[in-house]
Amino acid sequence: MNATRRGLNRFILFLVALVLLGLGALALAVGLLPGGTDTWTTVMGGFQGWLESLGRDSAGWGAVAAFVVLAIILIVIASAAVRGRRQAPLQSTGSASDAGRITVTDGFASEALKNALAERDEILSSRISAGEIKNESVLHVAVTPRQNTSPRQVAEHVDTLVTNLAALTGQNLRAYISIHSGLRAKLARDNTRVH
Amino acid sequence: MTDTVLRTVVRRETHSPRTVAMLVVVVLLLLALAYAAVEIILNLTGAQPLLVSPGEALNAVVAAPTALMPVAFIVGGVVLAILGLVVLVLALKPGRLSRHEMEWGERAVVVDNGVVASALAQHLSNESGIARDDIVVGVAHRAVDVTVRPPVGIPVDEAQLRRIVDEEVAAYKLTPAVRTHLRVERPDTKES
Repeated sequence: MNATRRGLNRFILFLVALVLLGLGALALAVGLLPGGTDTWTTVMGGFQGWLESLGRDSAGWGAVAAFVVLAIILIVIASAAVRGRRQAPLQSTGSASDAGRITVTDGFASEALKNALAERDEILSSRISAGEIKNESVLHVAVTPRQNTSPRQVAEHVDTLVTNLAALTGQNLRAYISIHSGLRAKLARDNTRVH
Repeated sequence: MTDTVLRTVVRRETHSPRTVAMLVVVVLLLLALAYAAVEIILNLTGAQPLLVSPGEALNAVVAAPTALMPVAFIVGGVVLAILGLVVLVLALKPGRLSRHEMEWGERAVVVDNGVVASALAQHLSNESGIARDDIVVGVAHRAVDVTVRPPVGIPVDEAQLRRIVDEEVAAYKLTPAVRTHLRVERPDTKES
């Protein structure tokens, strides 16, 4: 779960695709159309003449400056995409009652869920994290059950645990449960207990 | 599930973010830019070029149609167009991951297709008595394919198998919905 700017990723890919397709079409036009070579020589010669008219130094440094600006934009975009993967800390605040205020710390919620999940034989591994989507925190419970386990059974179990935790902490958690198949599930011995 | 935040989460978790493709493209662009900038700076400071000086490169570009065969342009154009198409597909296709959303009240639940497949196979095996190893289940985006290979001489009630599969798949409440196909494969009994 992350906040990567997906629209931006696709927009950049789209722009690059357009440039590549444009260059491809240009090369095909030069190779196939009669007079293509002449047009190419004229246009490119004109471009070369324009660069030379600027003078060697200004054209050179101008090009370097343009490249640097473009590179900075690209680096900013790439690092934003990677930074989007950061995870928000698990936060939980307590509920106040007559007896006082109970505060449940971050680690407790995740440890409680993890331990409860670890007790189940059909769940091989679990990972609890928190993410922030649209400035709202979402609890992410990722579980890898043993192969051949019903996903409904797993979801029901996790759902109950999350509901119990919410009751305990007095905080309604927005939870996202993902059930994975992985190498670990494939390699582990099948659960062949008779129910 | 009506929560818009969870809707966003499910949408994100079932579709590829295309971050890897974007990073590959950006890194290649950066390398090309860095190389060009280095050649220009070397030329401006009067040092030896790494491969070609910018002026020579520009001359070569201008003279390319006369120096090269038209075939070179056609081949180059086709290669560029294919690369462009690949990137365009990456940009526009939804990039669905092999997962399904499972309808679950107020919680968002996403299941890998592999989990659904193995659970369905196990359920069918339990209900029908056919060995688990004789059942192959494949779960795709909109279809579930079940292949049963019962041992020779064991009769199977296809309609009943179909009913078991349909009921179990319906119980999962997957989104997008899947159609089920069941096939009973008999080994060729006529020895040749």
